[in-house]
Amino acid sequence: MILDLLTDLMAKAEGRCAYAEARHVEHREEALAVRAGTVDDFAASSAEGIGVRVRVGGGWGFAATRDVSAAGAEAALAQALAIAEAQPAGAATPLTPVHPARGHWASPHEVDPFDVSLEDKLALLFAAEAALRTGDERVVRSLAALRAWRERKALASTDGAACTQELVATGGGIAAWASDGSELQMRSYPLAHGGLFAAAGWEHVLALDLAAHAPRVAEEAVELLTAPQCPEGVTTVVLDGEQLALQIHESIGHALELDRMLLQEASYAGTSWVLPGDLGSLRYGSEQLNIIADATLPGALGSFGWDDEGVAARRFALIEGGVLRGALSNRESAAAVGLERSGACARADGFARQPIVRMTNVSIEPGGAGSLEDLIADTDEGLYLETNRSWSIDDRRLQFQFGTEIGREIRGGRLGRLVRNPSYAGITPRFWGSLDAVCGAGEWRLWGLTNCGKGEPGQIMSVSHGAAPARFRDVQVGVA
Amino acid sequence: MSESVLDLAERALGQATGEAQATVTRERSLVSRFARSTPTQATGVDDTSVSILRVHDGHTGAAGTNELSDDGLRDVAARADAAARAAAAAAGEPGEYPGLPEPAPARAHDGFDAATAALDPAVAGAALAAAFAVCAERDLEAFGIWTAGVVETAIASSAGVRARDAVTDAYMKVVARDAAGRTGWAADAAVAAGALDPEAIARRAAAKVTSAEPVELAPGEYPVVLEADAVGTLLDFLGALAFNGLAHAEGRGALDGRLGTRVAASSINLSDSPRFARTLPRAFDLEGVPKNPIPLIQDGVAHRVVHDTRSAARAGGGARSTGHAVAPGGSGFGPHPANLVLIGGGAADETELAAPIDRGLYVTRFWYVNAAHEKRTLLTGMTRDGTFLIEDGRITRPVRDVRFTDSALRILEATEALSARQRLVADAAFYGRRFATGVVCPALRAGGFRITGQTI
Repeated sequence: MILDLLTDLMAKAEGRCAYAEARHVEHREEALAVRAGTVDDFAASSAEGIGVRVRVGGGWGFAATRDVSAAGAEAALAQALAIAEAQPAGAATPLTPVHPARGHWASPHEVDPFDVSLEDKLALLFAAEAALRTGDERVVRSLAALRAWRERKALASTDGAACTQELVATGGGIAAWASDGSELQMRSYPLAHGGLFAAAGWEHVLALDLAAHAPRVAEEAVELLTAPQCPEGVTTVVLDGEQLALQIHESIGHALELDRMLLQEASYAGTSWVLPGDLGSLRYGSEQLNIIADATLPGALGSFGWDDEGVAARRFALIEGGVLRGALSNRESAAAVGLERSGACARADGFARQPIVRMTNVSIEPGGAGSLEDLIADTDEGLYLETNRSWSIDDRRLQFQFGTEIGREIRGGRLGRLVRNPSYAGITPRFWGSLDAVCGAGEWRLWGLTNCGKGEPGQIMSVSHGAAPARFRDVQVGVA
Repeated sequence: MSESVLDLAERALGQATGEAQATVTRERSLVSRFARSTPTQATGVDDTSVSILRVHDGHTGAAGTNELSDDGLRDVAARADAAARAAAAAAGEPGEYPGLPEPAPARAHDGFDAATAALDPAVAGAALAAAFAVCAERDLEAFGIWTAGVVETAIASSAGVRARDAVTDAYMKVVARDAAGRTGWAADAAVAAGALDPEAIARRAAAKVTSAEPVELAPGEYPVVLEADAVGTLLDFLGALAFNGLAHAEGRGALDGRLGTRVAASSINLSDSPRFARTLPRAFDLEGVPKNPIPLIQDGVAHRVVHDTRSAARAGGGARSTGHAVAPGGSGFGPHPANLVLIGGGAADETELAAPIDRGLYVTRFWYVNAAHEKRTLLTGMTRDGTFLIEDGRITRPVRDVRFTDSALRILEATEALSARQRLVADAAFYGRRFATGVVCPALRAGGFRITGQTI
C-alpha cells in the first residue's frame, strides 16, 4: 500500500532533516471538445508519482519522481536532501504545530464521470455544439467542451501525517465566436475560459444544460458585432456572479495570501498592498463586504480534508463588514507572523510540485439586495457586466482592469441595449469601498475556476468562489 | 543502461494499431527560488511521459501516461484508439485530419549542453550566493530564481517518423529591492548554464534601484523606450494573436485579410528562426515536422502565418505544416511560433534610443499582460521593476508603475528605432512539462504608447 511506503520513507527521513513530507499523487484526466460538427480534442491522460519535501536547517529541498517503488521514493528523498543542502545557509524559521492528519477524505459525487461512456459524453457535446450553429455565417467558430479529472493523494510526514484523499471534478461549457471581417466578438456559457467546473460528478454536467443555452449564446455573439462600443466614463456597475468571482479571486484572494505579504513571491506572482500588521484593522471595503475562506464547502474545487502539509481543512473569515480579519497561510507563513495555526492553504499541483500558499474557496457572503431583478430595479443608471473576457492586475493587487464579454445598459431600473467590449478599472480598496449592494442567497452560487497560476516552476490550481451579483458605484468604465 | 527515449517511443508505438504516433518526453530539471536574499524553495523533477495519438478515418484521439510498463503503454494505446474510434463514430463522416506527416530530415542544432544536463545543485547554490552578495553591497535584498533543465523528445509514427531531440536551457532572474519597496529587474536565458553570469545579472538588477521617489504619470500617449524584455512580451502575444494559422483560417486572427500589406514600420523584420544565434533551438515540432526559418513580417509587410498539420488542413489552399505544432496532432488552440526573432536596428543602446525623446516613458518589463481584444492585438498590462521617466533625452526619475492598453501591432507600426543588440527573452514559468521558449529581440523606441492608468 502506497501510504505504508510513504510512512516507511518518513521513518528513514527522521534524523536526516528537520522535517519531511512525502506525497503520492495519481491523477487521471479526460478532455473532450467538439467544433463544427467534429471532435476537435479528445485526450485522456494519467500521471502518477511521488514528491518529497525536506527541510535542512532553514533550507527546503523538493524532489519528484515517477518511480513509485520504495527505491524510487528513497532516491527522491536523497535528491531532496542534496538539493536542500546545496542552498546557501539560511536561518531556520518555525512551523506552526499541526495535529497529525489521519484517515480518508473524498469529495462527494453522484455519478463518476469516468463511468459515463464516451458515446454519451460526445452525444451531449455534439448536441450543444450543433445548437450553437444557428445558420448565421458570422458565427466563425463554435465549441462545446467537457473535462473531468480524478486525483488520489496519500500524504505522510515526519509530523505524523498519514492520510489519503480523493477528489472527483468535472465541468464544461460552450462558446461561440462571431466575426464580420473587421470585428470579432465571443460569448460563452456558463463561464468563460473553458466552462464551469465543480467537485462533483456527471450530474453537474447534465445540470448545466449546455444545449438549451447554445442558441442564445450564438445570437448574442452576433448581436455584439453591431452593438455600440462601451462608453467611456464613470458610472454604476453591476457585476454578474461570474465576473464578481474573478474580481474576488484577483483583488482579494491573491492579495490576502500571506506568502505574498511576506515578500516570498516578489520575484514572480508579486507582493501585496496588504501588510501582515494590517490583520484585524485594515478597512478593505464597504460594510457590505464579507469574505469567507472555506475549504470544507461541498462541491467546491478548493475543498479537501487536509491541505498538502496535512493541516485539516478550515472555514474562517477573511473580511467582516469591510474590515480585514484573516489571511491565507501555510505552516511557515503563519508562524512567521505569530499565528497559532496554519490557515490550511498549502496546496500543490500534482506530484511534481511542492505545496505553496494557495487560495481555498474564497467567497463573498450573500447580501440583502434580493434577486438580480431586484438589484437592477433599484439601479437608476449604469452597466450590467457579464462573463469575463480579460483580466489584469498589478503585482501588489491594487490597480486592475477587467473586460467582460457583454454589457447591458441600465436605465430607470431596467436592462437596456447591449454594449460591446465593456471594460472597467479601479484600485482595490476604493473599488471594494464602493460596493453598496450584494444580492441574496437565492442568487449565490459557486464559480469553479481551473486556471489559477502561481509558483516557480508554475503551478495551476483549481478553486471555487461563491458569489452573487453585486453593485459598485462610481466605477471607471470603457477604458479598453 | 536505461532505455533511450527513442526506444521507448518505438515500444509505445508497438502497442498501437493502425495510424498512430508515439511521443516521449523526458524532463529533468532544477529550480532554486530565493526571496529576501534567502533560499526559499528548490525543486528537482525527473519525469518521463508517453502520449499516443491515434488517427482513425480523419479523426484523432490521444492518451498519455507516465506509467511506462508494457501494460501501461498497452492501456494508453487502447484509450487513444477508443477515443479516435468514438470521435469517428460520433461524427458519422470522415474527419479533416489529413494524416500523420511523412518523415523529413531535421537539421542539427547546438541547443544541448552536457554540463547543464548534469543539473548540479551546487551550481544553483553558487548562483544564489553571488546574487545575494551583489545586492548586499547596496543594502538591497535579492529575489528570483535560478533554473536549468534538460528535455529529451522522441517521436515514432506509423508514417515512418523516427526522431529524437535533446535540448537544455538555463535561466536566472534577479529582482533587487530596497527597504522602501523600489525594485529593479534583470534576467538572462541561454542553452548553457555556464553562459549565465549571476553576478552580472544581479548588478543589472541592482542598478535599476534608485533612491528617488517615483513620480506619477497621467493617462495619455507617450513616446516610449521598451527594453528587450518588454518587446519580447509583445511579440510573444503577437505569435498567438496574429501568426496562429488556426485563428487566421477561422477569421479570428489579427492578420485576417492583411497578409501582403503593411502592418508595421519598415524597420520591422520578424521571423520564426529556430537556429538563430542565442535562441533556444529545436529540431522538430510535436508532429515530428522539421523546424525551419519562416519570415513573418518583412520590412513591415505581413508575410505568413504558421501552421501545424491540423490548421493547415483547416486553411486549405495547399497550406502545409510549417513545423509549429505544440501538441501531437496539433492543438485545439492552434500552432505557435516558439522561436521569434526580431532583427535589431542601428541604435547603440537604450540610452541612444531615449535621446530624441523630450518627455516619455522607459519600460524595463511588463507584467500580467492579457488580450483585451484579440483581433486588434489590443493588450493591457502593467509595467514593473524598473519604470522611468525620459526627460530631455535622458532616463531620469522612476515612475510609479503604469497600466498600458495598446495594440501590439500599432506599437510595431509606430516603431521609430531599434537597438543593434538583441537579447534572448524568456520567462521560464514552466507550467506543466518544461518547454523552454524565448524571443530574440532588441529594445525599441515607439511613439504614442497609450497609458490608461496607474497604481498607487
